[in-house]
Amino acid sequence: MRVRALQVVSIVALVAAWEAAARLGWVDAAFVPAPSAVVHALGTIGDRALGGLGDTLAKTAIAYAIAVVLGVSLGIVVGSVRVLRDVLNPFVIAAYGIPKILILPWIILLTGFGTTPAILYGTLHATFPIMLLVIGGVRDVDRTLITVARAYGASTWQLYWKVILPAVVPSMLAGMRLGIVFCLLGVLVVEMFAGVRGMGAVMGALANGFKAPELFAATALVSAASIAIVLSLDWLNDRLSHWRDQ
Amino acid sequence: MTVAAIRLALVLALVLAWEGAARFSNPLLSAPPSVVLPALVRVLTLDSYPELPRHLLVTAREIAIAYAMAVLAGLAIGFALGLYRTLGRAYGPILAALYAVPAVVWYPSLMLFFGLDSSSKIAFGFLLGFFPITLAVLAGIRQVSPQLVTVARAFGATPLTTFVKVMVPAMMFTLVGGLRTGLALTVIGVIVGEILGSRQGIGSLINHAYGLLRTADYVALVLVTLVLIVASDALASLVEHRAQRWSE
Amino acid sequence: MAGALIVVDRVSKRYTTRSGVVEALRDVSLGVSEGEFCTIIGPSGCGKSTLLAMIGGLATPDDGHISVDGAAVDGPDPTRVATVFQDPGLFPWRTALENVEFGLELQGTPRAERRRIASDLLGPLGLRPFAAKYPRELSGGMRQRVAIARALALDTKIVLMDEPFGALDEQTRVLMGEWLLEIWRRTRKTVIFVTHSLQEAVSLSTRVAVMTARPGRVKLVLDLPMDYPRAIESPEIVALRAKLWGEIREESLRAIAEST
Ligand SMILES: Nc1ncnc2c1ncn2[C@@H]1O[C@H](COP(=O)(O)OP(=O)(O)O)[C@@H](O)[C@H]1O
Ligand SMILES: [Mg+2]
Repeated sequence: MRVRALQVVSIVALVAAWEAAARLGWVDAAFVPAPSAVVHALGTIGDRALGGLGDTLAKTAIAYAIAVVLGVSLGIVVGSVRVLRDVLNPFVIAAYGIPKILILPWIILLTGFGTTPAILYGTLHATFPIMLLVIGGVRDVDRTLITVARAYGASTWQLYWKVILPAVVPSMLAGMRLGIVFCLLGVLVVEMFAGVRGMGAVMGALANGFKAPELFAATALVSAASIAIVLSLDWLNDRLSHWRDQ
Repeated sequence: MTVAAIRLALVLALVLAWEGAARFSNPLLSAPPSVVLPALVRVLTLDSYPELPRHLLVTAREIAIAYAMAVLAGLAIGFALGLYRTLGRAYGPILAALYAVPAVVWYPSLMLFFGLDSSSKIAFGFLLGFFPITLAVLAGIRQVSPQLVTVARAFGATPLTTFVKVMVPAMMFTLVGGLRTGLALTVIGVIVGEILGSRQGIGSLINHAYGLLRTADYVALVLVTLVLIVASDALASLVEHRAQRWSE
Repeated sequence: MAGALIVVDRVSKRYTTRSGVVEALRDVSLGVSEGEFCTIIGPSGCGKSTLLAMIGGLATPDDGHISVDGAAVDGPDPTRVATVFQDPGLFPWRTALENVEFGLELQGTPRAERRRIASDLLGPLGLRPFAAKYPRELSGGMRQRVAIARALALDTKIVLMDEPFGALDEQTRVLMGEWLLEIWRRTRKTVIFVTHSLQEAVSLSTRVAVMTARPGRVKLVLDLPMDYPRAIESPEIVALRAKLWGEIREESLRAIAEST
């Protein structure tokens, strides 16, 4: 209760102080627009921003679907074959950790401006974290469970379907949660770098046009969408992993 | 031993495949290793880009400032939220929600506010590095066993002594891991910022080479950047292992 | 021994590890007849689990051979042999009931039928109220009972148990032993039971095989013809227990001396 109150009070105080600062001219309203101006801007750019957001989310959804399929299937294969795991794991870690922005210019060179590079780059961002966590999940499957399954006559297919896959679900979901943020990030970066459509392009144009209130409104919109997506994944996670501790 | 050999073979095969594929495609779009190598030599001898050291220094400076700020802010806010439970319960979830937003959404606003110069890159690098450090402090504090704190108190330790002699060592493993992740993300943030728009720094050179379709130079510059990134991470991992020794 | 249900004939097993070759079992022979409760007892690391794994088809002997019900063992055969491990190895994402159904599900038993079989087992095992609970919600004793129910659900002639009560506290062990005895007397399955506990060995078994320190061999086999339930303080049982302890003490001392 006290915690809620503290949250509400501090957010209200922050917004009020910000509004006052902008109105009284303590900060340059051209760069830091007052919250009221941002709310107003939300109305004026509403259609354009929602269109851009829809475009971005559609690309993200496609990229994410590809990344989940790739990440989970490759992760299970690499994770369960000892040689593959030993050889490839450092490459997957490197692919995950290296700033992929470095190859963005080349991707644009190859695929041009538009939807394809965005999907490609989003997929590239989301696949490796998912794969990495799935590999770890497969590696850490309790050996006893595998022995039990063998003793009870599980075929290879049954071993994967009834033991390894369910055991990997928590790591898979953790990877998917990481992956969705990276995926959205990848799509937005392409749109900002070389986009003609989508929220990233809209935001880039607003920044270049010094339209601060509109830009803040657009930023708030993407942030809200992204938080909503992650929260719904968290909810799904709780539903699917109810057998775990805590 | 054999694993290392297979890895090496794999890398060689990839390089060969790259060579083969690049030779038969549009030379503007792709440069084979045999062309990149001379370009790399020219880059390293400061032949093609005499200003390379200056640009690298700009980037290094941005990274250093951004990282120093991220460490200071991350530690301060992490400890404040971790040690004062009410603060942590109130602001922790807000922080976690913000972390769920892909950081690049803040970049246009930073560009608008700070302009094309170094400050916007520093701000973005700071933003990326700050979160993992703060979250590592929070996770580290949660990991300190209350039993250890009780023992210290039973032996008459003051709160300050408990903090220095029990809490910090007990959370060292997680904390140092967070500092390393923070560095990696700060580096990424600065480079992303430079590539999205800048006049100085290694990212601006990469953009420049790409803009002129000097593909071999572009690949060479990317390789130089990668080596520097990997080197900085290796250094960080060395420090990490030293700090985490006791936990083995 | 030729007519026994389970025949272990001059079996040896070696493991190659990074630090060299470990000879786990050397020239082990053992016959177990139908309906017997045969306990294997011996110092840690003498190869008891290895022996059970080979009978269950989870490992293959380097020398010698093993047959079950007249056929050579080549891989797990859950229609004849069901195994209970020391770590219950319950699937954490399955409820108690679903865990019990596991073996039948693999064999393709229709859902309704396997559910009926599993539910019927849970009652007498005192697990009925916990059918819908996940393993993390169960106590150690209950988990082990679910694992035993999972083995019994296969309704095999043979049940192998590798220190099934090893992780339980003393009181729970005694109760679980009484409970297992009752099941065995009702179903008359053939049981091979590995334990560290002399108490369990003397109160449950029709026969006890004592193994030597590594490399494991069968040191001696004792028949226990006494009636159930056995009074543990009866002179006969006390004497037997003392004898077993004498044999095992010697081997355990050797095992400790070798490991240091
Ligand atoms: N998979 C394995 N690889 C290598 N050594 C093993 C393996 N399994 C068992 N051993 C070794 O074989 C010996 C017998 O093990 P085990 O059958 O588990 O003994 P017990 O069950 O009697 O304690 C031990 O020394 C153990 O270390
Ligand atoms: Mg054992």
